[in-house]
Amino acid sequence: MLLRLDDVQRHFGGVRAVDGVSLEVEQGSVQGLIGPNGAGKTTLVNVITGYARFQGGRAWLESDELTGLPAHRIAGLGVARTFQNIRLFKDLTAIENVLIGMHTRRRDDTLAQLATLPIFRSAERSRTKDAYALLEAVALPHSVGTRRAATLPYGDQRRLEIARALALRPRLLILDEPAAGMNPSEKQGMRELIERLNADGLTILLIDHDMRLVMGVCKRVAVLNFGKKIADGTPAEVSTDAGVIKAYLGSGGDKEVTSAPGASGVDEATEVEEAATTSRAAREPDKAILHVQDLTVSYGAVVAVRGVSFRVAAGEVVALIGANGAGKSTILNTLSGLIRPESGAATFDGLDLAHAKASAIVRHGLVQVPEGREILARQTVLENLELATWARRDGAGTRKRIEDVMKRFPILGERRALSAGSLSGGEQQMLAIARGLLARPRLLLLDEPSLGLAPQMVDEVFRAIEEIHQEGTTILLVEQNALRALGIADRAYVIETGRILLSGSGDDLLHNPAVRRAYLGG
Amino acid sequence: MDFFIQLFTDPVLFWNSHTLLISQIGINGIIATSMFLVLYSGQLSLAAPGFMAIGAYTSVLMELYWHTPLSVNIVAGTLLAAGGGVLVGLPVLRLRGVFLAIATIGFVEALRLGVILNVPITGEGLGLKHTADPLGGVPMILVSLVVVVFLVWRLTKGRLGSAWAAIRQDEIAALSQGISVARYKMIAFIFSALLAGYAGALEAHLTFIVSPGDEQYGVTRAVQVLTFAVLGGSGFVLGPVAGALIITLLPYIFLQAGPYLNVFSGVFLIAVIVFRPQGIVGRGGLAIVRPSWWPRARTRAPSPG
Repeated sequence: MLLRLDDVQRHFGGVRAVDGVSLEVEQGSVQGLIGPNGAGKTTLVNVITGYARFQGGRAWLESDELTGLPAHRIAGLGVARTFQNIRLFKDLTAIENVLIGMHTRRRDDTLAQLATLPIFRSAERSRTKDAYALLEAVALPHSVGTRRAATLPYGDQRRLEIARALALRPRLLILDEPAAGMNPSEKQGMRELIERLNADGLTILLIDHDMRLVMGVCKRVAVLNFGKKIADGTPAEVSTDAGVIKAYLGSGGDKEVTSAPGASGVDEATEVEEAATTSRAAREPDKAILHVQDLTVSYGAVVAVRGVSFRVAAGEVVALIGANGAGKSTILNTLSGLIRPESGAATFDGLDLAHAKASAIVRHGLVQVPEGREILARQTVLENLELATWARRDGAGTRKRIEDVMKRFPILGERRALSAGSLSGGEQQMLAIARGLLARPRLLLLDEPSLGLAPQMVDEVFRAIEEIHQEGTTILLVEQNALRALGIADRAYVIETGRILLSGSGDDLLHNPAVRRAYLGG
Repeated sequence: MDFFIQLFTDPVLFWNSHTLLISQIGINGIIATSMFLVLYSGQLSLAAPGFMAIGAYTSVLMELYWHTPLSVNIVAGTLLAAGGGVLVGLPVLRLRGVFLAIATIGFVEALRLGVILNVPITGEGLGLKHTADPLGGVPMILVSLVVVVFLVWRLTKGRLGSAWAAIRQDEIAALSQGISVARYKMIAFIFSALLAGYAGALEAHLTFIVSPGDEQYGVTRAVQVLTFAVLGGSGFVLGPVAGALIITLLPYIFLQAGPYLNVFSGVFLIAVIVFRPQGIVGRGGLAIVRPSWWPRARTRAPSPG
């Protein structure tokens, strides 16, 4: 065993981010670590690498105990890592980044430097040669060596981060979502790179949301959910495990998935074919209040949304579902004017969303309830609601609307004087939705309303959403909990890596095996 | 203008008639290098005037009470400032950014208002008069500046410097490369205190008096030193030194402005920060000042195919 974790614990306040995880990574293997958003994967990595303290349990790298060591000591012992949101030394050149990675195995040369001894120059030359060899190892051309890291394309930055990690000569390499935001061919390249490094004898712990990648390269896969390990086994075992499927697709209330789990061996070609032949029982409406046409959105070099088109008619509930990083939230943020699209058009009831100011979009009746709720934790519930009515200055009318909203969510009325941060996650979500309603939306965008909530709370939030819909508000819902979202949606679109993969009525998609594949890969 | 014309037409006379100014430039250059060290390792520390005060008062007091030679006094002042760096660094280096700046200002003001103005031996508000030869050391100051700049430049090129650069860019990533962030920050902080102490000890011997004014050892001085680095750019050792040179010369550059000197100086500084935020010696060497909206040659996109 190279890495051994025994009952590792890490809590944040009352949240058990990592709750008694034990894991063994075999020498020379590629171990996968997967789990839905918020499952505690990155926290576990942070604990192993010394960025977050252990609150219980122990960890060993072969015979070296890692428990309680500071991060730089753990790196010195040979645990290298990359970061979910790339942390290169941005203003340094690519080669300087790799050279810094050699810090731990470089003799202290301070005095030699002061005298600029020639002996030092030869050491520097050989280090630079090594660094270029590492760039080659991750398939980066020599020419990127002198470029500033921040100017490299996104995929190259990911590779450079791996080269920098390799410069440590690690015994264990931890990759935290190395393929996030990559297009299929870049992902294929990343897969080949991981396989090549492993073939050279490097042990790798791989965390990623792309199931095709994880299931493809890993010999064993462990699954986390709510901080606990719920499965551990070969990719085939894990992808057919009932608990895993439930963790990913969410619980469907009283509905159960009846379709067969198309576990493995599905390649992309058949999937695309399937997408094309999906029943189109639920046709797109001819008269829509929201039109989205060929919308493309990028963050710098990363294309998050690629030519997405859809419509929402007045009175509908439409869901956008798909795995983490598919581009769902980006679409919502673009519609509400927080991000500008690169190309394509979006109109809401005659208003050009690609150019209108965010404040004008809200006044026009398109209101977003953001992911993660974004309530003001230190303000009271009442103050949070009052702030939402800031734009309207008619005192009496405002007060009445707040009272109405509190009647709809009685729990908020009871807790009006408490600080919003002291509410439970579900109550905070209610508050966020209530705040959205105060802006009198005609179209309400809900971004991951069930994120991080316990099952009963999810029920309650979805009940509230249905009630709001019945009162005549059109809803565009983004959810990872696909079964739940499909249960209340009139129509839904399945999004994968920035494209619409499937569309159809909620019920149709509920029974379509391709939906599962979009989440769990093949 | 006469001032600069003289520099070219009669450098010998220029040198002889401006020794005080030249010495001040040299000393400010050393302080600027001290500032460079902390900024290069990602620490916004404004503690330099405090360490200067330690160096200055130590060397002057030794001279007055023990009559030790000047060189011994200066070395003692320098080392004591470095020791002060250890004591101050241990508690405050956990802080980052603005919080570190505030904490170091706290140190500077506590030392000046709390210690220097209250302990009789320092002469309190009146300062200390002493008799050491003030201006004999001009060549020594300039040689010191060159040596200090050279040594610090070499340090930035070694293992130490690469660790500092990594920490400045991203502390979390630096940890992941096995760099002990706390240790390397401390080293930079102590070196910085050492240089500030040296500059302070030299400066105390520039005039016949050392006094605890705000513009000497207080916040005003701290801000001036920070301005050296911001104006000159903190990515390369010569940046802050260039900043120190320009700031020290500002009264001469805007000599014609008379009573409006400060207005012109202020407008000049704002202009540099607006048009050249990375400093005069920023990335790409001594680039010409060019605002971002200035029309520039369009780079042609590669033709398809």
